[in-house]
Parts: sequence; structure tokens; C-alpha cells
Amino acid sequence: MDQPIWLTFIVAFILMNVLLVGMAYMTLFERKVLAAMQDRVGPNRSGRFGLLQPLADAVKLLGKEDLIPKHADKIIFYFAPLVIFVTAIVRVAVIPFGNQIEIGGQPVALFAADLNVGALFLLAFGSLGVYGIILGAYASANRYSLLGGLRAAAQVVSYEIILGLSLVGVFLLSGSLSVRQIMLQQSAELQVGPLTMPNWFILSQPLAFVLFMIAAVAETNRAPFDMPEAESELISGFHTEYSGFRFSFYFLGEYINMIIVSLFAATLFLGGVDGPGADRYWGLGVLWLVLKVTVFLFFYIWLRGTLPRFRYDQLMGIAWKVLLPLVLLNIIVTAFIRLIGNGQIF
Amino acid sequence: MSWEVVIFYLLALVSILSAGGIVVASNPVHAGVFLILSLFNTAGIFVMLGAEFLAAVQVIVYAGAVLVLVLFVLMLVDPDDLPEFHAGRPVQRVVAILLGVILLLEVGIAILNRTIVGARGNADAMTIEFLGGNVQAVGNVLYSNYLLAFEVVSLVLLVGVIGAIVLALPERLGERVRHRRDTISLAHARGVDMALPEGVRGESPIPVPGARREEPVAEATRELIMTRDPDSYTDAGEPGGSRFRPR
Amino acid sequence: MTELGVNHFLFLSAVLFIIGMMGVLTRRNILIIFMCIELMMNAVNLSLIAFAWESNTMYGQAFVLFTIAIAAAEAAVGLGIIMALSRQVYTVDVDEMRTLRD
Repeated sequence: MDQPIWLTFIVAFILMNVLLVGMAYMTLFERKVLAAMQDRVGPNRSGRFGLLQPLADAVKLLGKEDLIPKHADKIIFYFAPLVIFVTAIVRVAVIPFGNQIEIGGQPVALFAADLNVGALFLLAFGSLGVYGIILGAYASANRYSLLGGLRAAAQVVSYEIILGLSLVGVFLLSGSLSVRQIMLQQSAELQVGPLTMPNWFILSQPLAFVLFMIAAVAETNRAPFDMPEAESELISGFHTEYSGFRFSFYFLGEYINMIIVSLFAATLFLGGVDGPGADRYWGLGVLWLVLKVTVFLFFYIWLRGTLPRFRYDQLMGIAWKVLLPLVLLNIIVTAFIRLIGNGQIF
Repeated sequence: MSWEVVIFYLLALVSILSAGGIVVASNPVHAGVFLILSLFNTAGIFVMLGAEFLAAVQVIVYAGAVLVLVLFVLMLVDPDDLPEFHAGRPVQRVVAILLGVILLLEVGIAILNRTIVGARGNADAMTIEFLGGNVQAVGNVLYSNYLLAFEVVSLVLLVGVIGAIVLALPERLGERVRHRRDTISLAHARGVDMALPEGVRGESPIPVPGARREEPVAEATRELIMTRDPDSYTDAGEPGGSRFRPR
Repeated sequence: MTELGVNHFLFLSAVLFIIGMMGVLTRRNILIIFMCIELMMNAVNLSLIAFAWESNTMYGQAFVLFTIAIAAAEAAVGLGIIMALSRQVYTVDVDEMRTLRD
């Protein structure tokens, strides 16, 4: 475990940059997949297959005029986009991309931090992110923005509960809150009769996984839960007044949040870097993780291309009347099974 | 100076400054932002004291709680009151500062002169490492020594939730709250209401059944926002004159 | 290991508590008074954790968890009361809430 602090900084720096590049190509991926679903071609003018499109988008966004509404609360208007961006990108620190490896005799950990409360860290920063939305909405001095912000607040407060409680089953089974410990536990193999299966928590906690994914889509404000920026009702919701550079921070924050939530789900439920050959070659492990994340991101885009938006009262009704009882049921059943397994009852 | 000292003073400074910000901020939304900043920095100090679990709990619980507070500000505070600074009468301020200084002196003397009674516990770094970490150590104490208290606290939370629901209900179910003012747009100090002549408020375009509507005075003509020159809504141009300045 | 003693943390806690107290005493907006009460509670939590750190036990941390839970219940009920009150008097200024005195 001994590595100098500068090495951790380098790992964190690389992780952040990979995340930013991944986010840029995530937008291209989304546009291409959506185009294919709608029988279009998608961006194909800049570079081969439109591969330079993210670069062109970035240049366009940076070149736009930075407008500030006259009655805006200027200070809050300035820093609200930064809140959502920073809280999104900080969360990558506790995601493990593998174990310790050796590069030239120097042990290097493929994660920035192994916190004892890693999963709670992810949830905490996820709930801080909504301040970026509500403060930006308030500061814009625009009624559509404020409506979007209020929707975002109510939605995130409700779905955060589902998100946190759906993980309690995993915590009960693994006995740890550290993301890395949970991932390591899943690399064991499970014998069920003649079958040998990976000990992934999606197999022991299928209900929790489904609930987690629903809550995660709501938490990242993506379709069909994109109430805060419902363009047919609220122009574009909380970022109506934002343009140029500041808008790009909201944009970055949303996509990085999607990638982080996908990483989180892949690590907690799908074994993270676990896969054939991953215990021998760390590169293969990272590849497996990227593959799992890509599947999740495709799922996000698929939802966006398929489902219409929920009505607002339906959205809140689902959270409190359907998902919350289900997630509590999952906790109770898991706790009982855990007790029986320990031989503490019966 | 080790790194820990530097980090402590940084966290403490930001925490104290933002705590002062809550007291002097004239806008309650700013006060809410300062509060979350202060709590966040205190969570950082919790981590320094080896209480990672409580730091995470602090951020999660208070992030939600303060968010709801900010929402209440947006809903309840009259926009005309927003820029004013409600800081009581001068005598109150003087008395508060005096009391604060006296209390700080007393507590300071108490801190410097205290003695430790009782033996030190055994929860050193080794034991915590053996238990698996801070979360496991807290859980161990919580569920072996304080199980009854834990159950009672969960009951208190349940009663609190029911009480909040009962308080927030209208007097009779299904009845709208009497004398309802306009929708949230009113709660915003510097919305497009400012584009109207003085003394006139815009209403929500959505009709609220049973709500008391304030009719605008006859000579007020409402203009759609886009019929004006867009530059008059940004900092680029200042054609509006004194009426359009933010209050 | 460190030059930081428990007194540093206790002083920070005291300063935060007193700032919160001054806010409660001077401010008139009921929501800001509420925020200052949260700040005072947070200062007390900090001192409890500092004592636990000093005496090398976990009891202080367990106690803070209870405090946070009670604070959450208090926030729920307090905001409910503020909302019910503001329906009656249409203000959040505590000086204007004097039905009992008049």
C-alpha cells in the first residue's frame, strides 16, 4: 500500500482526464446511437465517422457569448455550474480501476483513494450536486429556471433515498462500505450445484439492482426522468439562461454524472474489473470495466430513445408509493437471509 | 508546520468565515449557501478526527436538510423583504456581541483549565484497524452499548415525520390554503416583474382556483419579454434607466 | 504525530457555537434563526467528536450519530411549524409574530 503522495496525484490526474475525454466521446456515442435508433446518420462531417465532433462542439461552446441576465444573482450565477461539475468529477476518486500493480518496481494503486466510507462518499457528493441545479435556477431570475430547479430538488431528494437504500442490501451482504472491498468480494466464485458463477451482487440482489438503476436515471436527470429540463414544458429548465462556457459546465456535469453512476453500478453489482483473465492482466480488467460501463451508457441512451417523459406527479408517486416499499422489502428479506446464513436464527 | 496543521487552519477558517456569513448575509439564500459551506468544512474536520462515517452522514443529512431550507426561503420569503437586513435593534446587536465575547472568554478559560477525568479508552488506530475501520467501530458501539437508545431514536424520527406531515396538511383535506398568494414566481425578487411599472406585480399565467388575484392597475401594459430588445436584459446595454436597476 | 491538540478543535467548536448564538440573538428572519440553530448543533457535534478523539473511545461518535438523527427530526418538525405559522401570519419575521403579546 505504500506509494508516495505524488504518485496518487498522478493517478488522480490521469483518472480525471480519462473521464473528461470519455465524457466528450460519450456525447458522440449518444448522438450516433440515437441517430441509428431514429434511422438517421448522425454527425459525420468533422473527421472520419464524426470522430472530431466533440472537439468541434467544445470550440463552439467556448466561442459563444457568455450572457448574464440583468437581474441575476451574479455571484451565485457564476459559481453554480462549477458546483455540479466539481461534485461530479470528485466522485471518481473512490472508484477502483483494479488492484495494485507494479510499474518498474514501484507499486501503483489503480485508484485514487480507498475510503472506508467510499459508497457513502459517492452518495454524499451526488446529493451535493443538486445545489448546482437549484442555485443556478434561483440565480437566473427566470421562472422557467426556478420551476426546473424546484422539480430537480424534489426529484433528487426523493430518489436519493431509493438510491441509498437500494445499496443497503449490498452492504449487508458484503459487510463493508468501501467500494474496493465490495469489488474484491465479488471476484470470488460461487458454486450453485454444478454451475460455477461469479459472485456478483447482481445475482444475489437483482431487485436492488433494478431499483438502483431506476433511481440512478432519476438522480442524473436523464430521460424519462428529465423533469428539470423538460424542453417541451420548461424551455430547457434550470439552464435556460446559461450559455457558452457556463452552460458547458452543466453539460459536462450531467454526462460525467452518468459515467460515474455507471461505474458505480458496474463496480457494486457487476464485479467491477472482474472478468476472464482479469486477475492476471490488469489491462484486461480495466477493459472489462469499460465494457460494462459502455453497456450501462447504451442503456441510458436506449431509454432516452424509447420512453416518453413521465408526468411530474407520476414521477413522485412512483418514488414514494412503489419504489420505497420495494426497497424496504429488499432490505428486510436480505437481512433475514443474512441472519439465517449466519445461523443466528432458526 | 505539518500538512495537518495547514489543512486544519484552512478548514477552520473557511468554516468560521462562512458561519459569519450566515449571520451577516442579507439574502436568506446566500445564508443557506454559507450554511452548507460551513457544514461541509466541519465534515472535513470530522475526517481529521477519525470520524469518516460521521462526516459522510453529516454531508448526506445536512445537504438534504439545508436544501429544503433553501426551498422554504424561495417559497416563503416575501421578495420585497429580501434585500433588507433583518438584524434587530442596535441594542440587541450590542448585547449579542457582548454576550458572545463573554461566553467565548469563559469557554476559553474552561478549555484551557480542564482536567481529564477517567481512563482513556482502547479505541486506538490498531483496534479500529482490527475491527475493519471506522464504520465497523461505530457500529460495534452503537449496536452493543446503545441498542435501546438507537431504537428510541428511530421512534423519535418516525414521530417527527408524522408530526411534520400533520403540520403541513391544510386544515381540511382537499381544501386549498386560504388567501393563497401567487405561485413561486412571486417569491423571486428579481424576476421579470421588474419590467413592469412600479407598484405592479405580474401574476402567474396559471389560474389558481380560489386564489385572490391582484388585478394590475389599468394603465399597466404587460409586454412579452421577447418584444423588447434582448440587450436590455443583459449587461451589454443599459437603456432601461433607473427603473430597471436590480433592487 | 501532529502538533494539533484537542484544544484547537474545542476552540473552533466554541467559536462556531458563539457565532450561531449571535445569529439567533440578532437575526429576525425565522429561517435564518433556524440555520443558526443548525450551526450551533454542528458545533456541539464537533466538540463531542473532539472529546472522543482525545479520550480514545467511540462513544462520542455514537452520540453524535444520535444528535444528527434528532437534528433531522427537529428540522422536519421545525420546518412544518414554520410553514403552518407562515400560513397564519404571512411573514417570516419573528418580530411581527406577537399575537400573544398584543
